[in-house]
Amino acid sequence: MAAKIMRADRHAAKPSLSCTAMQNDSTLPVPAQGPNPITAELFRNAIVALADEMALTIYRAAYSGVLKNIMDYSTAICDAEGRLVAQGLSLPGHLASIPTALRACLAHFKDDIAEGDVLVMNDPYEGGMHLPDIFIFRPFFPVKGGDGKPLIWATTVCHHTDVGGRVPGSNASDSTEIFAEGLRIPPLKLMEKGVYNDTLLRIIDRNVRLPGRVMGDIRAQLAACEIALRGMADLVTRHGVVELQVLLAETMDHSERLARHCLAELADGEATFTDWIDDDQIDAGVPIKLVCTVRKTGDKMVFDWTGSSAQVKGAINNTWSYTAGASYCAAKCVMSVNMANNDGVFRAIEVIAPPGTITNALPPAACAARGLTGFRAADCAFGALAQLYPDRVFAASDGGNTGITIGGTDKDRKPYIYVDFLSGAWGGRPTRDGLDGNTNMFANMASFSVEVIEAENPLEVLDYEMLPDTGGPGQFRGGVSLRRTWRMLADEGILQVRADRATHLPYGLQGGGPGTSSRNLLNPGTPEETLLAAKLTMTLKAGQVFRHELPGAGGWGSPLSRDPQAVLADVREGKVSIDGALRDYGVVILGSPASVNLEASAALRAELQTARGIAPSPAWQPLHIINKPDATSAGEPV
Amino acid sequence: MRIGIDIGGTFTDLVAISDDGKVRTYKTASTPADYSIGIVDGLQALLRAAGPNAVVSELLHATTIGSNTVLEGKTARTALITTRGFRDVLEIRDLRMPRLYDINWTKPAPLVPRHLRLEVTEKTRADGSIAVPLDITSLAEIIRTLTVEKVESVAVCLLHSYANPEHEKIVATALRKLMPHMAVSVSHEILPEIKEYPRTSTTVINAAIQPVVRAYLASLGTRLAGMGVSAPFRLMQSNGGLASSDWVQDRPAGIVESGPAAGVVGAAALSMRIGAPQLITFDMGGTTAKAGLVENGQVLRTEAMEIGAGVLSGARLLVGGGYMLKLPAVDLAEVGAGGGSICRIDPGGAPKVGPQSAGADPGPVCYRRGGTEPTITDCNLVLGYLDPAGLAGGSVALDVPAATAAIEEKLARPLGLSVPQAAMGMLRIATATMMRAIRAVSVERGRDVRACSMMAFGGNGPMFAASIARELGITSVIVPPMPGLFSAFGLLLADTEHHLSRSLPGRSLTPDMLQTQLTSLLGEGESRLEAEGFAPRQREARISAMARYAGQSSEIAVALRPGTAAQILQALPEAFAAEHEKLYGFRAPEGEPVEIMSLALLARGVPSQSRLPLGIPPSMPMATGHRPAWFDGVGWTATPVISRGSLTDVPRAGPMIIQEYDATCVVPPGCSAALDGFGNIRLTLG
Repeated sequence: MAAKIMRADRHAAKPSLSCTAMQNDSTLPVPAQGPNPITAELFRNAIVALADEMALTIYRAAYSGVLKNIMDYSTAICDAEGRLVAQGLSLPGHLASIPTALRACLAHFKDDIAEGDVLVMNDPYEGGMHLPDIFIFRPFFPVKGGDGKPLIWATTVCHHTDVGGRVPGSNASDSTEIFAEGLRIPPLKLMEKGVYNDTLLRIIDRNVRLPGRVMGDIRAQLAACEIALRGMADLVTRHGVVELQVLLAETMDHSERLARHCLAELADGEATFTDWIDDDQIDAGVPIKLVCTVRKTGDKMVFDWTGSSAQVKGAINNTWSYTAGASYCAAKCVMSVNMANNDGVFRAIEVIAPPGTITNALPPAACAARGLTGFRAADCAFGALAQLYPDRVFAASDGGNTGITIGGTDKDRKPYIYVDFLSGAWGGRPTRDGLDGNTNMFANMASFSVEVIEAENPLEVLDYEMLPDTGGPGQFRGGVSLRRTWRMLADEGILQVRADRATHLPYGLQGGGPGTSSRNLLNPGTPEETLLAAKLTMTLKAGQVFRHELPGAGGWGSPLSRDPQAVLADVREGKVSIDGALRDYGVVILGSPASVNLEASAALRAELQTARGIAPSPAWQPLHIINKPDATSAGEPV
Repeated sequence: MRIGIDIGGTFTDLVAISDDGKVRTYKTASTPADYSIGIVDGLQALLRAAGPNAVVSELLHATTIGSNTVLEGKTARTALITTRGFRDVLEIRDLRMPRLYDINWTKPAPLVPRHLRLEVTEKTRADGSIAVPLDITSLAEIIRTLTVEKVESVAVCLLHSYANPEHEKIVATALRKLMPHMAVSVSHEILPEIKEYPRTSTTVINAAIQPVVRAYLASLGTRLAGMGVSAPFRLMQSNGGLASSDWVQDRPAGIVESGPAAGVVGAAALSMRIGAPQLITFDMGGTTAKAGLVENGQVLRTEAMEIGAGVLSGARLLVGGGYMLKLPAVDLAEVGAGGGSICRIDPGGAPKVGPQSAGADPGPVCYRRGGTEPTITDCNLVLGYLDPAGLAGGSVALDVPAATAAIEEKLARPLGLSVPQAAMGMLRIATATMMRAIRAVSVERGRDVRACSMMAFGGNGPMFAASIARELGITSVIVPPMPGLFSAFGLLLADTEHHLSRSLPGRSLTPDMLQTQLTSLLGEGESRLEAEGFAPRQREARISAMARYAGQSSEIAVALRPGTAAQILQALPEAFAAEHEKLYGFRAPEGEPVEIMSLALLARGVPSQSRLPLGIPPSMPMATGHRPAWFDGVGWTATPVISRGSLTDVPRAGPMIIQEYDATCVVPPGCSAALDGFGNIRLTLG
C-alpha cells in the first residue's frame, strides 16, 4: 500500500500588527483583537507552572512506588467546560484522559456543583481509563459564595496500588469482565460542600487490599488540588475574572496556533499501517490486529482506527481516551515545536476509534492491562506516520514494557510482592541509532534497583545486561535487548509475566531489519531449559531460575549502507558479533585489534545487495511478522 | 592575607582579605589551556598591590574543572570493574529520560565504553554474606586488558559492597599493588549506600576526572611553589564545605559544583551577621540564573545531582539528562536565563526568552560582534539600565541604536508594542522564568518565600533583584559587596566539612546495628578532621537520617539530636512527622512506623576565629549623574546614577541606578536603597 503524498497547502498567515510607537507609553495597551501578548505569555508561564507544582506535590507526598518510579499520574487545570488548559508533566498515555473524565462528571452533575465539592470517579465506561486510575476533581469559584459556574477545575488522576478485584494490584491481564477487576466508581462526590462522603469512603476502605496506601495517595491528590486553588486565587487577584477568562482561552488558542503551524509544515497525505499484539492470553496464539490510518490535510490531522480488531476477552481493551493518548503522542513526535499540551492541540487532531473495537471497548470488556494496547497503538500510529514523514519517525521500539510480578511469602512467612516493569530499546532513527537501555517513548519509567530487589524479596538477580545481535540491523541500528534473570530463594512464589512481541517483531523502516523477539525462559543454560509463553502465570519453586529477554528494536535504513566503522564500533562494544557483522551488515572484521577489511566488505555487500533484491522502497517496508502464515518475512536475516 | 580564587568558564576572580581587614579584588579572563596561569597572574597582581610585607596565609579555591572535564569529554581513559552480569548498569542507568516527544533525544555517552567495563566472578548478598566467592584469577585477565588498552583510571563497583566491602577491597588492593600508577576509585569508599546505579555512576565520575584534577592541582602546586607561596590550599566542595587538596585528589567527584556552592556559602555566613537568617540566594550571570536557600544560617542541600542535565526542567520531575552524581550538594535550581538569553517570538505569536543564549560570542546585538538576535542585555540597555559607555568601567562601549533597531524589528513591531514596552515585557518574561528557579528551592520544599530576604549577586543578579522580589512578595533585598565576585568572597567564609553516609536495612534495623554504624561514622568524621589539623574542640558533628513511613517510596532528611542509638530511635517518629508535615502538609496517624534507610554525618572543622570581616566599606563615592531610564507605570524618567559609596544608612527612594565596576543594581520606583553597616546595599520594597 503506497502512501499518497500531496504538497501541503501552506497557511501563510502572518501576524500583521502595526507598530504603535509612543514616547511615554508606560502602561501596556490591550490590543482590540486579544490580550496583551506579554500578559498572555506571563499567564501561560504561571498556569503551566501551577500544573507542574500540582504534579510535584503528588510526587512528593504519595505513598505508592508506582506513582514515583513510573510517574503514572497526571495533574491539570481545566476550564469550566472541562477543556484542558494546562497539564503538568505526565505520561503521554494520559494526554486525553482528564478532559474526557471531567466532561463525564459535568454531564452527570450539570449545575449541581458547589464550592467545597470534590468529585471522584474511575469507571472506564463513564470517562475513565482502567479501574486503578482514580480521578479527583475540585472546582474553583473565584468569588466566595458567588453563584454560577466554577472558573476552573483542579484535576488529578493517579494509578492506585490496588482497587480490589480478583488479583493484588487490580492489574491482571487475564480477567474477562470489568466486574472481576475491582471497585467501579461512577462520577460521585467524595466531598460535598466541604464534608466528606463517609458512605463512599467506607465502601472504598472495604473494597481495596491496601486502604492505608490508597487513602494516602488520595490525600496527595487532594493536596495537589489545594495547591492549584491557592495559585488560582493569586491569579484572580492579579488579573480579575474577566481578563482571566480571556487568558484561559488565549492559552488554548496559542497551542492550537502552534499545532496548526506544525501540521501545515507537513506534506498532506494518507497512510495506513497494521501492527499486531501476539494474543490476549485468553485466546492464546490468536493475534490481535491494530489498524491506524493517518489523514493529513492542511493544518489538521486525523487518526482513524477503523479496521482494528473487535474488543477481546482478555483485559487489554482500550478506552477512547487511551487510544487518543497514543495518537497524540505519535503526532507530537513529528511536530517541529513541543507546544504546551492542552485543548488547542486536540482541536487540530481528530481521533476516530470505532466503539466495540479494542481501541474503544464497550462494557463489560475488561481493560486493567490495557497498557500493552496503548504501547502497540503508539507503534501502529508511528508506523502510519513513517510512511508520510520518513525523516521524522523511528523504527519500532521494544514494544512497550514487560510487566513482571513475583509474590508469595518468604521463609519467615512474611508476604512480599515484587512488581517490576522492564523496558529498554528505541528503534533506529532517521539520523542516528536507536537508544540502548532507555524507557519507551510512550512511558517514562525507572527500572528497579537490583540491590533493592534482593534486599526486599527472597530473590537473587543473576544478571541485567545487554544482548548482542538483538538490535534490528540498519543504517541506523535498533537498540539492543536487555535481559534480567531471577532465582527463587523462598520455597515457592507466583510468577506473572505480561510480555508481547514474541511472535510479532518490532518492525524496521526504510529497509532496516526487525528487532528480535521477547523470550521467557525457565532454567536457562541447563538441560531443563524451557521456552515459556509470553504471557503467563505460574509457580516458581525454590532454586528455579526465570529469565526475561526484552525484544530488540527495529533498524532504520539498509544495513548494507551502514558505515563499516560504526559496525566495527558495535563489534568492539559487544553489541554486534563478528558473525552478525558479516551476516546482517556485510562487513568483514578481522584481526586483533579488530579492523574492517574494506575490500572484502565491499564485495560481500555487493553480493548481498543482489541476493536481497532491489534496494528497499524509500517509503517503508512491510511489517515483519514471524510464525504467521499470511505474513511476509522480509526481515529475516539473509 | 587569605585569598579566595574562583575559576569560572569565562572569568577568574580573586578576592583577598588582609589581616587588617582590607579587601582587594582581581578579575581576569580565564585561561582554559592551563587554568593555573590565570591564578598565578592574579596572585602576583594582588601581592604587588598588598606591598612587600604581605604573606599569603591560606588559599581557598573553587573551580569548574570537574564539571568541565565531564561536559567537554576530556575525561581520562577509564575502566570499570563490576560483578559478572552487571557491567551494563552504568549504560542502562535508571531508564528515565528528561524529555518527551523528541525522537532525537540522545543519552549522554557512558563515561566508560562497554569494552572497558570488565567483569569479575563474585557476588555478595544484600545481608553481606557471600553468594559467589571472588575468583581472583579473573583479575589477571583484567590487568592485562587495562595495560593493553592504556587505561589511566579504574572504578571498582561490585554489588552490595555497601553491606560488605570485602571483595572490593581485595580487588582494589591488588590493583593498587600491581599497578601503582593507576588511579583507583572504589565504590564503598566513595558512596557506601544501596542502589547500584547511583553508586556506580558516582564512582565512575570520580575515576574519570581524577587524573585530570590531579594534574591540574599538581601544576598549580608547582607554580605556587615557584612563587614562594606555601600556604595551606583548600578547595570548595559541591556540598559547601572546604577540603584539603590531598583529600580532593582522592575524591575529585566532590568538587564538581564547586563555584556555585561558594556563593551560597558566602550568603549563609553573611546572613547570620546581618540578622537575615532566612535567605533566597539569586545568582545570575551571562547564561543562567541559579537560586538557593539558606535557612537559619544553614545552606540547604540536596542528596544528588546530575552533571550536564542542563537547566531546570519543569518541576525537576524529569531526570536523566546528565551524569548522576549522588553526593550531597548545595541545592541549586538553575534556569536558562541570563544576560545573553535570546528574545524571540514563536510561530504561535508568543514572546519567549531563552533558553538559547547568544553567549559571549557573538553576544548581544549591542556588543557589535555580529549578534543579530536581541537579548536580555539589549533590553536592559535600551531601557537605560545599563551604562551605554559600557561594562567593566567603560572598556567595551555598547551600541544603543543597534539594540533598539533589533528590538524594534524582531519584537516590538510583531507584538504591536513600542520598543520600551517590548523590552520591558521581555524582562518580565525572563523574571517569570527565574521565579520558577526560586520557587523550586522554596515553595516546592514547603518554605514560605515571603518570609525570606533575597541576596542577589553575579554580574546580572542586582539588575533583576528588585523586580523578582516584587513578583514573589519579598520585601527585603540584599546586594553584598563585590556582587560580581561574590563566589570568590564566599570562599573566604566557608568551613572545612566532610559529608559521610551509611546505608541501613530499614525495617529490620536494630538499636545495636544503628549504634555500630553511628560509632563508625563519628569515628571516620573525627579522623578526617584530625587529618586536616583540627583540634578536638574544633570538631563539630551533625547527624541526620534519611527516613520514611514504612510503605512510602522515598525518604526525607531528618536532623537528629546527638545521642545513643536508643535515644535516637525514640525521638525519631516525632522528628520525622514534624518534618513530613512541614514538607507535605500532613502527617500519618500516630503509631505509623518510621524506618531509617541511611544515616548521614556532617563533620565540620570550626575555625579558631571568625572568618567574616567586620565590614567591607565601599570605595569612595563616584561622581553622580543622571540618565533617562524607563520604568513600568512611569515611562521615561531622568534617573540618578550613583555609586554604592553615595548611599548612607538613610533609605533613599528609587528610581535610581547604582553602578559598580562589576555589576549594576536597578532600584525601581517604589523601592528604596540604603547602605548597612557591613557594606551591603539594602533594598526595601513597599
